[in-house]
Amino acid sequence: MDELFPAELKSRLDQIGEADIIVGIPSYNNARTIGHVVRAVSVGLAKYFPAQRSVIMNSDGGSRDKTQEVVMQAEGGADDLLLVSHPVHASYRISTPYHGIPGKGSAFRAIFAVADYLHAKACVVVDSDLRSITPAWVELLARPVLEHGYDYIAPYYQRHKYDGTITNGIIYPMTRTLYGKSVRQPIGGEFGFSGSLARRYLEKDVWDTDVARFGIDIWMTVTAIAEGFRVGQAYLGAKIHDAKDPGADLTSMFRQVVGSFFSLMEIYENVWKKVTSHEAVPMFGFPFEVGVEPLSVNTDRMVHAAQQGISDLREIYSAFLSPKTLADLTSFVHRNGQGFHLPDELWVQMIYEAATAYRYRRIDRDHLLQSLVPLYLGRTASFVLEVTESNATQVEERIEKLGQVFEAEKPYLTQQWDAAGKERLHAQPV
Amino acid sequence: MRSLFDRMFVEPFNRLADQSAHVVPVLIMVLVTLIIGGFLAFVARFLTYRLLQLAQFDRLVQRTGFSSMIDRTGVFRSPADLGARFVQALVWLFTVLFALNAADTPASVELVRRFVDYIPNLIAAGLVLLLGVAVSRMISRSALLAAVNAQWPAARMIAGGVRVLVMTLAIVIALEQLHIGSLPLLVAFAIVFAGIVFALALAFGLGARDMARQWLEAKVRTSVAEEEVFRHL
Repeated sequence: MDELFPAELKSRLDQIGEADIIVGIPSYNNARTIGHVVRAVSVGLAKYFPAQRSVIMNSDGGSRDKTQEVVMQAEGGADDLLLVSHPVHASYRISTPYHGIPGKGSAFRAIFAVADYLHAKACVVVDSDLRSITPAWVELLARPVLEHGYDYIAPYYQRHKYDGTITNGIIYPMTRTLYGKSVRQPIGGEFGFSGSLARRYLEKDVWDTDVARFGIDIWMTVTAIAEGFRVGQAYLGAKIHDAKDPGADLTSMFRQVVGSFFSLMEIYENVWKKVTSHEAVPMFGFPFEVGVEPLSVNTDRMVHAAQQGISDLREIYSAFLSPKTLADLTSFVHRNGQGFHLPDELWVQMIYEAATAYRYRRIDRDHLLQSLVPLYLGRTASFVLEVTESNATQVEERIEKLGQVFEAEKPYLTQQWDAAGKERLHAQPV
Repeated sequence: MRSLFDRMFVEPFNRLADQSAHVVPVLIMVLVTLIIGGFLAFVARFLTYRLLQLAQFDRLVQRTGFSSMIDRTGVFRSPADLGARFVQALVWLFTVLFALNAADTPASVELVRRFVDYIPNLIAAGLVLLLGVAVSRMISRSALLAAVNAQWPAARMIAGGVRVLVMTLAIVIALEQLHIGSLPLLVAFAIVFAGIVFALALAFGLGARDMARQWLEAKVRTSVAEEEVFRHL
């Protein structure tokens, strides 16, 4: 653990001694927005948890735009207009560079370690580029842990119907299908969790994998569900990010998130195979309607990406997709314009076949994940074209329908998975 | 008269008989060695093929992607067939070496000695080629995926070019291991490689100057614009 703490940080932690709540903010060149986030968190801690000892920890990836200075100088915590009573304990503030692979996961690991060191009862993590965060987010994410015995609180946002397509098209319906909990934003970015869960995370040896990068969110969610921790959700309103998101390249993001999810399927095979249905997850907070920022999507570009993928990557697809799935994909993907459509059943079968191939290494894993990107763009274009005229409720119903298809096709996944396992067993050299 | 007859016919015949007495057994031994070796090679091929089939070698190789390459050669029926024929060729090689050694003539002994000295080079060249095939396949696939995900129209051509380049490099290194025209080959490769890079640089920088500028501008613009409008997570 010592390698995670520079001497300066360790002496600062020793000074602090113990804390009830840790709020972690990972950052990398977020000087423009992190001041607002720190201020919102400070006010949230002072307003909702005045009697608790709290620490705001900025885990920084080597920013060169004075992010750390902004964190330490941001005002907050004693705003008379917001506070009914003044806090008994002022919140401590730490800004420290993390060690390990550059990425969000490594930043979180440092936060888990600090939470463990200070024997924190509850931890909250929030992104540093949030523009829509309010002090209430801290309460919504921490109180269920501190007062209601929950171990993991996932966020629940209102998002634009085109936003979060990896979440809507793959991660949410698959998490629900495989692990039986309907966590709507499993890779939301803002979470609350207990000190014991933070310790459990620290015990895992995953910090040299994609979990150290964008895979951290889904890894935290699935680990919490699969290992039987008590999971809830908190309604946070709208999620609005800063426009600039350094390093957010689609292929890398997709590879890290989906790759981490597929790896978890291997680890928790015995868990997801037993799950036959899903259940709702308790929701904290008061749901209200919010306006979301308008988004425009270039579907032609996405359709073209899918068509090029099907043409140029045929050899790679044939290594892990069944001939029928590949033939169907080819036939659907080559339809142009408004007529472009990728049926849910085909999409789900394709994902399940890819997950099986990933598990049994039918092809280099990195290549498999990268080859899925054009198909994902095709699926996204299909979804966007389908819901162009739909309102938020209709879009939710549409995502719900996709979830049902994932569930209905689960026997296909199990059958593919088991057949591949047997095949590999028989293929062992005599 | 008698001595003339002896000198003309009997002595040469006796000499021939003496020489034959030395050579014929050796020839017979070489022939027998080759026949037995050939039979053993055939048996080794048969047994290896059966063993590889039992071990489902074809299916294992199919997963690595080498199967299609073997099919494309049109010489071997399957990866197991390739393996079996390789073992047969090895047995044949050792049989020939054994036969040459058995001949025990200065020329054959020298040939065997030279060949044995050459074996490490052969192994090194074979390994370099194998590695070249695997690496070229891996790198060209990575290039193909990167190009497709960047939506470059000539993705397959780029991947093919990368593959040819890596394989050429592997062949040059392998030939150098075999001491076959090493320096001229190396120079030729360097000239061709530098030529390709120079030609591409000229084509991109001069011939397609406007396109290059537009592409770079578009690249910078779209990456920011896409982040502004669309979030995948």
